[in-house]
Amino acid sequence: MMATTLRKLVGTKSAGSWLITLTMYGLALCWLYPIGWMVMASLKPTPDIYTTGLFGGQLSLGNYDFLLSSATRLHRPFLGALGVSFGVTTAVTVSVLVTSAFIAYALARIAFPLRERFRDFLLLQMVVPTMMLTLPMFVLIKQLGLINSYGALIFPSMMSGWGIFTLSQSFKGLPEDYIDAAKLDRARLWHIVLNIMVPLNKSIIAIVALFTFTGTWDNFMWPLIVISDVDKMPLSVLLATFSKHYGDYVGPVMAGAVLQTLPLVLLFVLFRRHFLQGMSLTLK
Amino acid sequence: MRESIGRISEVQIGALLALSYLLFSAVFWAYPFIWLTILSFSDWRFFGAPSFSGLHNLLVVLRDPDFWGGLWNVIRFFSIYFPIAFAGSLGFAFGLKHIGHGKAFIALCFLLANISSGVAFSLVFTKLFSSTGPINNFVFSCFGFRIPWMSDPTLAMLAIALVVAWKFIGYYGLIIYSGLQTIPRDLYDAALLDNTPPFKRLLRITLPMINAQLIMVMVFTILVSFGIFTEPYLITGGGPLGRTNTPLMVIYETAFRRLQPGHAAMMSVIVATASYVLIRIARKLMERDVKLA
Repeated sequence: MMATTLRKLVGTKSAGSWLITLTMYGLALCWLYPIGWMVMASLKPTPDIYTTGLFGGQLSLGNYDFLLSSATRLHRPFLGALGVSFGVTTAVTVSVLVTSAFIAYALARIAFPLRERFRDFLLLQMVVPTMMLTLPMFVLIKQLGLINSYGALIFPSMMSGWGIFTLSQSFKGLPEDYIDAAKLDRARLWHIVLNIMVPLNKSIIAIVALFTFTGTWDNFMWPLIVISDVDKMPLSVLLATFSKHYGDYVGPVMAGAVLQTLPLVLLFVLFRRHFLQGMSLTLK
Repeated sequence: MRESIGRISEVQIGALLALSYLLFSAVFWAYPFIWLTILSFSDWRFFGAPSFSGLHNLLVVLRDPDFWGGLWNVIRFFSIYFPIAFAGSLGFAFGLKHIGHGKAFIALCFLLANISSGVAFSLVFTKLFSSTGPINNFVFSCFGFRIPWMSDPTLAMLAIALVVAWKFIGYYGLIIYSGLQTIPRDLYDAALLDNTPPFKRLLRITLPMINAQLIMVMVFTILVSFGIFTEPYLITGGGPLGRTNTPLMVIYETAFRRLQPGHAAMMSVIVATASYVLIRIARKLMERDVKLA
């Protein structure tokens, strides 16, 4: 009885097959465990976190209260940091998406002079390890007088060679007819890009958007280097400094971790369809 | 007439768009490269003009035990991380292929780890691994001892490798899975007709056919081994005794704590070159040009 229900549930024939399916479901739960533990720990008073089971203990929003009130008590302005993270990440993501879409269209569809050289240059940039550039980039930002400013977090990432290349590969695959039809209508370039290319390449754009958003939101080393003013820190760095000095406050640290994770998870869940589709496109 | 004006301006617009990116790259890519070159061969403490010091930085860096320690830790990390990530992602890909319902759901569970925050989960895993944390509580209740994750150099490295593997196995696995999807069914049918045993099928058909994806995963693991910063910085802080110090952490320390950007620049050139050369060698050794005859 049990076996047949299970078999129906997993929809496969052989016993080995549904054993694999069950194992995979088990592993998926293991993979979710740290996330679940983080959320539950953020809702418990610190002394209960290690002593109660995953779903045991008294649940409250006390840790979040503590975190938000620590702006005045411990000079850790978490609400402000959340705002900085949102502002910076949105600015970078929008900028990368807009510039990538237009330049990718040019690269894929307009035969401007030295186009192939331009493509080679993008490929070269992607091969050269970027870790070397962190330190001289700091020197540049210092020369520009941007240390401890939001510009230091935004300007260096406003365009992305990877974004341009990925989108142009996808734009190239589109049948010429769409664009010819638009050109017959005397559609302008921005109209072609925004009303034809973007809607027809949603999945790949979702991938570029999600990876850019995640990369910027979760960037740690760069803001750690260029921002030392507590009031201008993005959440990632503020959370790390908070955990360094007040690591024993496990509950509030976990509440901070939830805040740092939540926007990424929400975006991921919201765009999961496009994401899976886009993944299979980029991996071809 | 109007038509031709339109076409000319389109080419010009294309060139202008490309030019905008080239200008951006000139400021935020080429210019830093020039600075990197200058810094590598000069003495400078962030103020005043850099003074040329020849190969002095190179000699200092080559005699710096912290630098060599960082490079050695790359090898230690890789030798733990690579088997876990490689076997894990292969297993994930094969498992995913055999699932009936809920393929997308399972894939999303694993990918959730990939897009979630490295900073947040470095902190979460620090708590999970701590001596009174849930993992040790579980081990203690089963076996009566606790695992000293943070005080033993190898276990500390293993802890970091596990956290990074948790993050990337879903992504690597999906890469391999996409390779598995492209293998034509008839290859297996032919092998079945020949009574080829399963292990031989894996070795002779499956693995060669996904060679490109396996190499991609291998390149990613090498890049990660050289490039991790957030996880060791937040989980172990480089300890115990610098045994989980990564090159990026050494470079960061050298530039911003010891205030020796010249030395740090030289280090980053060496580390980047090493990672580049290693990837080239690995590709040379592993790459097979697989064709269906």
